[in-house]
Amino acid sequence: MAVSPDIDVSSVGIRFKRNRRGRRSFKDLFSTSKRRSRPDEFWALRNVSFTVQSGEAIGVVGRNGQGKSTLLKLVAGVILADEGRVDVHEGVAPLIEITGGFVDDLTVRDNVYLTAGLHGMRRGQIDERFDDIIAFADIGDFLDTPYKHLSSGMKVRIAFAVIAQLEEQILLVDEVLAVGDRAFREKCYKRIEELLAGGRTMFFVSHNERDLRRFCTRGLYLDKGRLVLDGPIDDVLEAYNRDYG
Amino acid sequence: MDGVRTRRPYDVRVATTTYREVRPAQRTRVARYRHSLWLLTKRDLHVRYATNALGYVWSILDPLLMAGIYYFVFVVIFQRGNNVGESPYIVFLLAALLPWTWFNGVVSDNTRAFSREAKLIRSTSIPRTIWINRIVLSKGIEFLLSLPVIAFFAIISGATLRIDVVFLPLAVAIEGVLLVGLGLLVAPICVFFKDLERAIKLFLRLLFYASTVMYQITDIPAGGLRTVAELNPLVGIFGIYRSAFFAHSLDWKLVIIAALGSLIALLLGILVFRRSIRSVLKEM
Repeated sequence: MAVSPDIDVSSVGIRFKRNRRGRRSFKDLFSTSKRRSRPDEFWALRNVSFTVQSGEAIGVVGRNGQGKSTLLKLVAGVILADEGRVDVHEGVAPLIEITGGFVDDLTVRDNVYLTAGLHGMRRGQIDERFDDIIAFADIGDFLDTPYKHLSSGMKVRIAFAVIAQLEEQILLVDEVLAVGDRAFREKCYKRIEELLAGGRTMFFVSHNERDLRRFCTRGLYLDKGRLVLDGPIDDVLEAYNRDYG
Repeated sequence: MDGVRTRRPYDVRVATTTYREVRPAQRTRVARYRHSLWLLTKRDLHVRYATNALGYVWSILDPLLMAGIYYFVFVVIFQRGNNVGESPYIVFLLAALLPWTWFNGVVSDNTRAFSREAKLIRSTSIPRTIWINRIVLSKGIEFLLSLPVIAFFAIISGATLRIDVVFLPLAVAIEGVLLVGLGLLVAPICVFFKDLERAIKLFLRLLFYASTVMYQITDIPAGGLRTVAELNPLVGIFGIYRSAFFAHSLDWKLVIIAALGSLIALLLGILVFRRSIRSVLKEM
């Protein structure tokens, strides 16, 4: 298998307003001058560069508010960088806010078709995987129930099942696995391991050291919006524990 | 890349398409865009029609009720019904009210285009203009589905269909361009200025009376006021729709103004949308 980069991130920076409720002006809206930074803004990430090869499993480490989720969202393409470039060469299956695409009033069946479709699957492909998705989520009796009537556990299960069936090369995981009961969590972990064994690339954000060591080979350590260390996961965790342990 | 696969205990059967085939990245961008746009549009229509027993009726009830009210006021009370170029008045009204309902629905829904779908926008990376275009498309389909209402009233009131009905697609196209432009303009700005939601509702009410829904452009005394009114793209657009039943409704000068106005709205919309989308996504 030829090794090719799946993700290229070069000198990426993104800034946010410190005061989210702050006054807005039309000038804010159209600000494009990339260098100028106003006093009420901060750089959530700056000068972050790395390349991810196909098949790598990368764990992102850092304290709360150091830009981990922001980095994940940049790779997912749901926010855009203010400077630098994020090039994602393969399709992405984002396990971020996984229940986001589900509509309360539609049935589970309609929701599965809708969400899978929005992530790029065609009808025939969904037909093929439909039974797998339902079996994985284990909610066969509720196919024609409106989504809003499901329990919160079932909602997450069906959402995970849909995204996990996407045949995308890159998997983005943002601590969604903290939800659901232990049996389902283990099932999700098994599924992730299978996908990794199948050659998928993964980007994993977690505070759980055990999970990070279980899945990841390489780590990115973010601190104060900078990429402090990029290396084998054990080295990265060691550095993190030395700083904050 | 799909070669290594460990045992999947919960698998009932093995999917037969391979990894390569499903990768949406391999489909063209246009195909992907169309796919997502159509899916969300269908969802809009599905939600509206599947959750209400009277789905279709609701979407035509609003213009019908309005038409009924204006008919009562202007024909029954003010006896306007026999004016040349406006008879039968109910058809005259509906020919502009139904496209107005499309216009009004799209602009007011676009004030919440992003906030309403915030969860989905935070989790999927489909092209962002889809959030605007799907509103234009789903409301547009509802508009087309409401056209039989005009046909019904035209038949019972004895209006004759003119050859100018062939220009109907032109009117739909110009109005569509105008709506996409206004949507691209309104949606991002409303994310930052919540007050605008209210302001736009008021403006739409004003625009309704300023557009030639209840009267025709020649009813405005010639002069400065009419010149200003003629700059409203809706005037030219409604003129095309009306020409299907009413001679002298079609004024090509006004159509050209409408087409130019719509193009300007589209260019302005694209400009504003492109420059503001970064900030919009950060607000989600």
